[in-house]
Amino acid sequence: MSSVGLDVSRADGPAKIRGAAQYAADIELPGMLFVKALRSAYPHAKILRVEASKAEKLPGVVAVLTRDDLKGKNAFFGPVVKDQPVLAIDRVRYAGEVIAAVAAEARDIAEEALDLIEVDYEPMPAVYDLLEAMKPEAPVLHVDRTKAQSFPAKSGFRLQDEGNVLSRYHVEDGDVAVGFGESDEIFEDVYTSPKIQHAHIEPHATVAYWEPSGKLVLYTSTQTPSSIRTQLAELLGLPQSMVRVIVPFVGGGYGAKTHPRLEPLAALIARKAHRPVQWVLTREEVFLTAHCQAAVVKIKTGVKRDGTIVARQVEAVYDIGAYALTSTNTGRNGGEVSGGPYRIKHQDLTTYCVYTNTPPTGPYRGFGVPQVCWAYESQMDDIARRLSIDPLELRLKNLVREGDPFVTGHNLVSVGISDCARRAAEAIGWQRGAEQAPRALSGKVRGKGMAVMIKTTMTPSNSSALVRLNTDGSAVLLTSSVEIGQGTLTSLAQIVAEELGLSVEHVSVTFPDTDVTPFDQSTSSSRTVFTMGGAARQAAHQIRQQLLEIGARVLEANVEDLQLINGFLEVKGVPDKRRSIPQLFQARYGAAVGNMVGTFDNQTSGGLDPTTGKGKGSVFYFLSACAAEVEVDTDTGKITVQQVITAVDAGKAINPRLCHMQNEGSMIMSLGSSLFEEMVFDNGQPINSTFLEYMPPSMEDHPKKFQSLLVETPHPEGPYGAKGVGEAGLGPIEPAIGNALANALNGIRVKDLPLRPDRVLAAVQSAKEHGV
Amino acid sequence: MKIEIRTTVNGRDMEAVVKPNQTVLEWLRDDLRLRGSVEGCGVGVCGSCTVLIDGRPVSSCLMLATNIEGKQLTTIEGLATGDDLDPIQQAFLDNQAFQCGYCTPGMIMAIKGLLNSNLRPTEEEARDYLSGNICRCGTYSEVLAAVKSLSERNGTKQ
Repeated sequence: MSSVGLDVSRADGPAKIRGAAQYAADIELPGMLFVKALRSAYPHAKILRVEASKAEKLPGVVAVLTRDDLKGKNAFFGPVVKDQPVLAIDRVRYAGEVIAAVAAEARDIAEEALDLIEVDYEPMPAVYDLLEAMKPEAPVLHVDRTKAQSFPAKSGFRLQDEGNVLSRYHVEDGDVAVGFGESDEIFEDVYTSPKIQHAHIEPHATVAYWEPSGKLVLYTSTQTPSSIRTQLAELLGLPQSMVRVIVPFVGGGYGAKTHPRLEPLAALIARKAHRPVQWVLTREEVFLTAHCQAAVVKIKTGVKRDGTIVARQVEAVYDIGAYALTSTNTGRNGGEVSGGPYRIKHQDLTTYCVYTNTPPTGPYRGFGVPQVCWAYESQMDDIARRLSIDPLELRLKNLVREGDPFVTGHNLVSVGISDCARRAAEAIGWQRGAEQAPRALSGKVRGKGMAVMIKTTMTPSNSSALVRLNTDGSAVLLTSSVEIGQGTLTSLAQIVAEELGLSVEHVSVTFPDTDVTPFDQSTSSSRTVFTMGGAARQAAHQIRQQLLEIGARVLEANVEDLQLINGFLEVKGVPDKRRSIPQLFQARYGAAVGNMVGTFDNQTSGGLDPTTGKGKGSVFYFLSACAAEVEVDTDTGKITVQQVITAVDAGKAINPRLCHMQNEGSMIMSLGSSLFEEMVFDNGQPINSTFLEYMPPSMEDHPKKFQSLLVETPHPEGPYGAKGVGEAGLGPIEPAIGNALANALNGIRVKDLPLRPDRVLAAVQSAKEHGV
Repeated sequence: MKIEIRTTVNGRDMEAVVKPNQTVLEWLRDDLRLRGSVEGCGVGVCGSCTVLIDGRPVSSCLMLATNIEGKQLTTIEGLATGDDLDPIQQAFLDNQAFQCGYCTPGMIMAIKGLLNSNLRPTEEEARDYLSGNICRCGTYSEVLAAVKSLSERNGTKQ
């Protein structure tokens, strides 16, 4: 192949290394105002009064938006249930919720005006803990759960009618009671993961203005331009054609920039001001806008003495914060795979999504899976220790294989997970049978651990692509996929170039502009290469067919004997019998004019039945393995990660270097949540919402040995066999590090993330007391 | 209140009027429209707003514009000369040492500061020096490879 499978250099390199890449906050429109938001001081309160007249009179203030502006209008949005107001109407549900916003000539004027807005609150009882929130006596956040127009039919989950449980997902196979009865050993544990930050370095930013025609135009830092258009049209009562969403470069998202965040308010205040507005969040506001769901996972597993897993029961609860967004799907996503990538005859898997008076959560790289993987993979090593079976052997014995039916009922294809596990273990120098050997617990102690993961991708979903071939043999791919750092501008160009036999430099890929570029469900779920790449390949294929037909006529040859290579169409084996692309345009139109166009609407099929939880859960599965080595200081509890190696089944790596970089990103991100990242609240008030107190991993945390491995098990439906890789490396890191720690501490386990020094020290103490 | 300052930005002497509470970052972005330097954290710890003042890296989100009176300010926009890239920029291209690119200008400027003070940094020295530049995409391996190539280009450590 001439483009696919090569480490093609990124198309966005020249702009990025010169500081010329344009992000949403760099957009400046004539007459643009600056927006600042007034946020709630209380985690749960009735809003008795909002008085903005003093703020409105401050020189330089052009518009103040309050609940008064929403009277009699649609005020609520949400991709699944419409539970989130543009700004607080009658109550606030988390400390930091927006109550009013000011648009002014300068940022400092807008800030000053916020102090002039008067708000009277009546504090209400609040609930911050996910298990407390499930109790019947807990204060209830939401009564109304109106479904959005975009509510998926085969969602898998079921909305609950009352209390704080928004949704429940359940699936079962066999009969766990029978399975536990047949088991020789039963393991029961509870694992927890805290709220963590996406910590994309570019804060959310939106520029909004209204054309005189009544069209809303947004430049916004989003991963979901098509969804923003759909939801704003629904909210504002506009035809979708009157909402135009343009996405420049995005400075990282990791899920936090999916679905409306700033856009609804920015649109409304721009309309009121009759001027363009720019709203850029501060870092503290980012902490109040999106984060990853905390979870408590109860897991019970029954095994035979030979290591066969017979039965597994999981009950996981996700804390989704004050508003739903797509957390319903996160809960389902975690639930489907909460039994792990194993052949288990009897399974009973249930997840709940629960509202609490904390900031809204949202999709976070891994989408509900790391929380359950932390549980099942940690427990897996305890099983190995109790049964005296090597942890790698135990996994290889139970791992799913090609064609196995998964718990949701669908047969798995492209299953390279055993290869992933073997290669990760080999790379770290895994000593079978020796990694769980006893250690002397003094000074610094080392341990190795491993873990595997299975994850689904959004199914069903839709991506459309349009390819235009120009008369000179260059091509443009029109797509709404977002360049968030993963390299979409490059990998999609490679796919189009490959299909048309063009040099990759001759293929350009657009930025999303919903007036021009076709629908795309989202740049998330690591779905772009598989789904948009599939659409792009098919669109290019249509042009390929046109070229071949023209060529067959002109060259008096059979279509099957022709090939497109280096910008020429030639008869195979007869290189001088060929035509250039301009010549083929000439042959078709009598002049080198016009375009040849191909377009494809890629709708993937599947989904889960909300009653049984069964169906085709995913068009492809992410499969991966991690091996890690830690050094534990038994005097301080500090963990130093010596090595992390992750192997991911990419299907086919369209651009191996980009795949490795996605993998490395997953690894270092998850290393942070393994060791130190957690959002801390005191009675609903966030207390570490700056990078001074919440620091993502830096180069000092970057392990000395840090390796990404790719396994390629081609997927029959992926373009050239490709699957997604963006999240695959993330899930197994936490349990691999946790297992390395447990092996260093003779099996004493920390079950709560992150693995802070105080927790590790307590485990060291416990290990010493138990004399293990 | 406005304050007049004289300073040098990317080799060009200029006189400017700044506000007393205006940071260097705000001045660069709002007044000079040099938007390669970006805000990530606003508290001087993520490094994405890094610029050079008299050759040394500074978080421009923390420094007031009034404090650059008489100083030499260099931003990412001042590194390349026309089509000629700075060797660091070239090393970033050669090693593809960026993903979303948001931290990249700050990272490049920090490396410029590193090489100004240490022509041939070891990996340890680079890790230590650059630990104030956060890349959430996790491109540290590639950035370290870029620094290594620059260090080797400058000869081996004595």
